[in-house]
Amino acid sequence: MTKQEQVKSIFIEEAGEIIEKLDVNILCFEENSTDFNLLNEIFRGVHTLKGNANAFGFTRLGEFVHHFEDVLDYYRNSKEQIEDEHLDLIVNSVDVIKEVMICELDALPQLPHDYSVCLHGIKVLIASKTGKSFEGVQEQNPPTDLSDLASEFGLSLSEKFENDVLQSIERMRQIREVGMVLYRVDLTFDSDSYKRGFDHLIFITLLAEKAKAIESFFNLEYVAPLHNFTSDENQIKKSSIVLLSLESIEAMNENFEFLFDHEYNVQVLPVEIVATSLATEPLEEKTTKESVAVAPKNTSPESSSVLTHSAKSTIRIDTYKLDELFDSVGELVIAQNFIAQNEKIRSIEDESIKRTIETLSKITKRIQDRVMSLRMVAIRDTFDKMKRVVRDTSKKTGKALHLTVLGEETEIDKTMIDSLSDPLIHIIRNAIDHGLEANQQERVAVGKNIEGNLTLRAYHKSGSIVISVSDDGRGINKDKVLQKAIERGVVTGDENLTDSQIFALIMQPGFSTADAISDLSGRGVGLDVVKTSIEKLRGKIEIESTPGKGTTFSMVLPLTLAIIDGMLVESGGEIYIIPTLSVVESFRPEKEIVHVLKEKGQFVSLRGQHLPIIRLSDIFNLPAKKTEPWEGILVCVETESGRIAIMVDELVGRQQVVIKPLGKALAKLKEISGGAILGSGDIALILNVDAIRTQEEVIHAGS
Amino acid sequence: MQLDGDIITIDLSMSLEDILNFEDFVRPRLEYIQRIEVEHGSVLKSSALLALLWSLKQSKQELNIPFLEQEKAIFSQSGTLHWIYVN
Repeated sequence: MTKQEQVKSIFIEEAGEIIEKLDVNILCFEENSTDFNLLNEIFRGVHTLKGNANAFGFTRLGEFVHHFEDVLDYYRNSKEQIEDEHLDLIVNSVDVIKEVMICELDALPQLPHDYSVCLHGIKVLIASKTGKSFEGVQEQNPPTDLSDLASEFGLSLSEKFENDVLQSIERMRQIREVGMVLYRVDLTFDSDSYKRGFDHLIFITLLAEKAKAIESFFNLEYVAPLHNFTSDENQIKKSSIVLLSLESIEAMNENFEFLFDHEYNVQVLPVEIVATSLATEPLEEKTTKESVAVAPKNTSPESSSVLTHSAKSTIRIDTYKLDELFDSVGELVIAQNFIAQNEKIRSIEDESIKRTIETLSKITKRIQDRVMSLRMVAIRDTFDKMKRVVRDTSKKTGKALHLTVLGEETEIDKTMIDSLSDPLIHIIRNAIDHGLEANQQERVAVGKNIEGNLTLRAYHKSGSIVISVSDDGRGINKDKVLQKAIERGVVTGDENLTDSQIFALIMQPGFSTADAISDLSGRGVGLDVVKTSIEKLRGKIEIESTPGKGTTFSMVLPLTLAIIDGMLVESGGEIYIIPTLSVVESFRPEKEIVHVLKEKGQFVSLRGQHLPIIRLSDIFNLPAKKTEPWEGILVCVETESGRIAIMVDELVGRQQVVIKPLGKALAKLKEISGGAILGSGDIALILNVDAIRTQEEVIHAGS
Repeated sequence: MQLDGDIITIDLSMSLEDILNFEDFVRPRLEYIQRIEVEHGSVLKSSALLALLWSLKQSKQELNIPFLEQEKAIFSQSGTLHWIYVN
């Protein structure tokens, strides 16, 4: 990646963060449009976005944001109450900004549908507020607005130029590192400098190679219009360069040795601030003075030696580096397990060695926990986005509702956050569109408030994270669902399904009991995709519902995708891992509770349920040590299609293991979701219990 | 340099000779040009181009030059460039 691409990628990342923040803030502002502090914050974000967008050639975004900034600037200065229709325009403008950003990133020629409409609305709004005609606003090009910070503050151009340079100097002081010298170079080229082969950019580029940071300023005050201008005659009478460099003053001056003495001036600037003012003293002589004025707080020039960008306590880390660190810690855990479980090492009769191994184990665990925590982020940002979804869906359906958000600080693996948004959006839309009553009258008729209630909640439970969406609507009609499932042949009707199993049927592909399909939901193509998305994250969806009271969709997810808590089992001499998230219980059955059903195989009766028995040795074609269920162990697991009992030879233990992908060739094995290296150095395969169920059905269907 | 109707797209990294040619091209056609764009990813190599753009803008107020209007640009080779002018 070239340096420019690196800088651009940083801009894109930061622009994304600004836009995300805008999205959240604009909703909060919509709820309280007299919060001018918030409006100021929104304005600052838009202002930064404007400058950076134009700097990187995202001119369509820059243009839109420029006009949007004008509107925000007007309201934040006037403190005028924003009318509802204008508030809608402002909120919609943030949507347009998001969409235009995508167009810019993907270099799409066409703009979003609402771009022109919103832009026109903004221009008309600002024209009406400023009393200028719309045409007048169009002609009032950005240069006129932008250039007159100087006139706005009553400063001449020279003073403004100097002010900007001083601000740059201050910025450089903040990031100065030990040993670096802060320079100011003023260039006052003669008019024939271009003909002599000297261009400002040549020197700037030369200095940039040796600078940690560099900013340059061109005063265009004396550049004449075309009738008095020619490109090969320099009319930029003054430019200034501010830079941080390790170069000595002598080396710095050598860069300009071919210029006339009066054409350049290199100054070393003091590193501590004495006082700042808008108008500065003229810089007259070329000096090498390095006087340090001691500011009140600091006692040494080196006290500001640590490179800090600001008062923030965060640091940006490439996620790739974090993943590498995580992998390394995983390997460390495996190696530590090997030491702890190695028979030869364990047989050493030395207390100090045993204590050291124990200490190593504790430290490794601590490192593992700390590194894992680096990947954990609060789910707040995702929930904030959902507030927008709730608002939009509420407007679209015309249903008033109140949203309660709980557990925003609950942490989840960062890699899972992105995959959560779409399923969550669909569940929320589903809850509003189908869960809540169709209209206020229906709610009042059953004694409920006009406003529907939606609760978004996140919490940790037994090593998992649960994200639930609850509504206080109609609830799921269990009988209707079962009837539909029978009609579609999903179930026969003879199964003794629990309520949760019946509710789970609505997540079958194409399954919809909706009487009407809205463009939001009801086509039956959503919940099955949601289910698949969650299962890809090794999670599951649980549905609870009470007719007339409401429904809760709960997504149960592992805290992290990289480590799994597993039950180790042995079958046919091989070790397998069953995710404990799926395990209900394990037991050795009595002979009397094992039954054989014709053409369906063996079943075990467990607390009123008949669970199909599936032999791992059959699935993987292994020589079984135990042939009958009552000789071996049955592990009852929950699958997407209900509970099954996996028969194994022995239980080995329970362990947290680092998941290793199997590679492309073995990834096709649906019954296996990954591998893990045990402390003994052996490899254990991690079972995908849902695929095992399917496999068993295939076996029985074929037999 | 590309001309598309009344929009010219220029390469910022023009040499002085190219800039002079560009100036010669634009002078007699300024009346018909509405917008000057810059090529994505191009890097400013001469301050003469900056001066020319501002000169053009002064000569025709309605001329839209988004690059000029942003008042700053960041290039990896030369850091942050600011230009200050008053209309």
